[in-house]
Amino acid sequence: MSRTPPRRAPSTVAGAAAPLAPLSRDSQLAAEIKGLVASGERDAARDRFGELVARQQRRAVRIAYQYLRDAHDADEAVQDAFVKVFTHMTSYREDLPFEVWFTRILVNACLDLRKSRARRLRWAVPMSSTSEAPPTDPATPDPTPEQRLVSRERASEITAAVDSLPDRQRTVFTLCHLAEQTTAEVSQALGLSEATVRVHLFRAVRKLRRLLQPGERR
Amino acid sequence: MRADHLSDDRLIELSLLEAPSATEQQHLSACARCDARRVRMQRLLDDVSDTATVAADAAFPPERLERQHSRILARLLREGRPARVIAFPAGQAQPEPGVSRTRPRSRWIAAAAVAGLVVGVIAGRFGHEYSFNRPGAQVIVAHAVQPQLRAPGTAGPIQEASVSISEDEFLDQLETAVESPAAAALQPIDELTPTAWDIR
Repeated sequence: MSRTPPRRAPSTVAGAAAPLAPLSRDSQLAAEIKGLVASGERDAARDRFGELVARQQRRAVRIAYQYLRDAHDADEAVQDAFVKVFTHMTSYREDLPFEVWFTRILVNACLDLRKSRARRLRWAVPMSSTSEAPPTDPATPDPTPEQRLVSRERASEITAAVDSLPDRQRTVFTLCHLAEQTTAEVSQALGLSEATVRVHLFRAVRKLRRLLQPGERR
Repeated sequence: MRADHLSDDRLIELSLLEAPSATEQQHLSACARCDARRVRMQRLLDDVSDTATVAADAAFPPERLERQHSRILARLLREGRPARVIAFPAGQAQPEPGVSRTRPRSRWIAAAAVAGLVVGVIAGRFGHEYSFNRPGAQVIVAHAVQPQLRAPGTAGPIQEASVSISEDEFLDQLETAVESPAAAALQPIDELTPTAWDIR
């Protein structure tokens, strides 16, 4: 599953407005749906939106799950984000990538859910371990139990390290690395300058390296 | 030639964002140390991304994604549809679309009922306000959790609070009260007091 850099076109000087890549298939589809909604053809718009959901869904659940670490919450956040996208489809700007707009809505949905969950947990009587445990078994089969154990421990370490990142760093890292967005796109999605996005990204990676590769020195 | 070594930030950029320039590529080919650092950085990032992807994919197998897809479309269908009117009594024939079933007489009765209701509500409201505005009959609801906001030793004005607040506002007030310095003084008492889940 490893990737070879570079995955994206080089971005411009930090802080400058970066030209975005030509609009993706999803952006074109979103523009088409917007047109259908505007002309009152809601059924047709909904059908086309189903296609857009299918194209973005996997990426959306990965981002949401990385944020929330709970399948039910991630499911809810993704559903809410898609419904919100459709109901506000007429405010979509066709000159911008759909992915950026959608990601912004999804991240907000995740943050809202996390906030409300934290509040409820703070004031609620804890239940006896009814919360869903995160899946620990990787999908790829390991040949031996020892290797599986090592792999599971490593996965736990990585998850804990990512969870320990401050919110903003975690958001930027998730979007840049897992959602494979450019710093320009993340800057648009989060409403931060590109320079700030880069600073958060560097800090996040440095912290992860400190936690996961303790012997690593320049 | 230490000055030529790639900085940590540059290595992050090369691993995540950009391709190395020709000079950097040349350096990486010649400098085993920088190349090894870049490989380690890339491996770390791949590990993180693989772990996240595997966990999310295990939590969301294809069947679950299909269910989610259906639910999203079902919610969209409900969003644009007006509320369904259930026939009462059950079994009554559905009216033909565009044809009014109400007769003139029943319309008058309905209009009179609505007018009576409106008059009743207005009269009730006037009566209520009149009784509460009489001297000595004023009701003041004060925040019980915010006495620490007043200066010590002073009674301070009693703030009138809205009677109906949302859950979020209530939790906000609760959090503000808990985080205030005055709450710290109550900490020993809190520790002595068993919590609900200790008792269970």
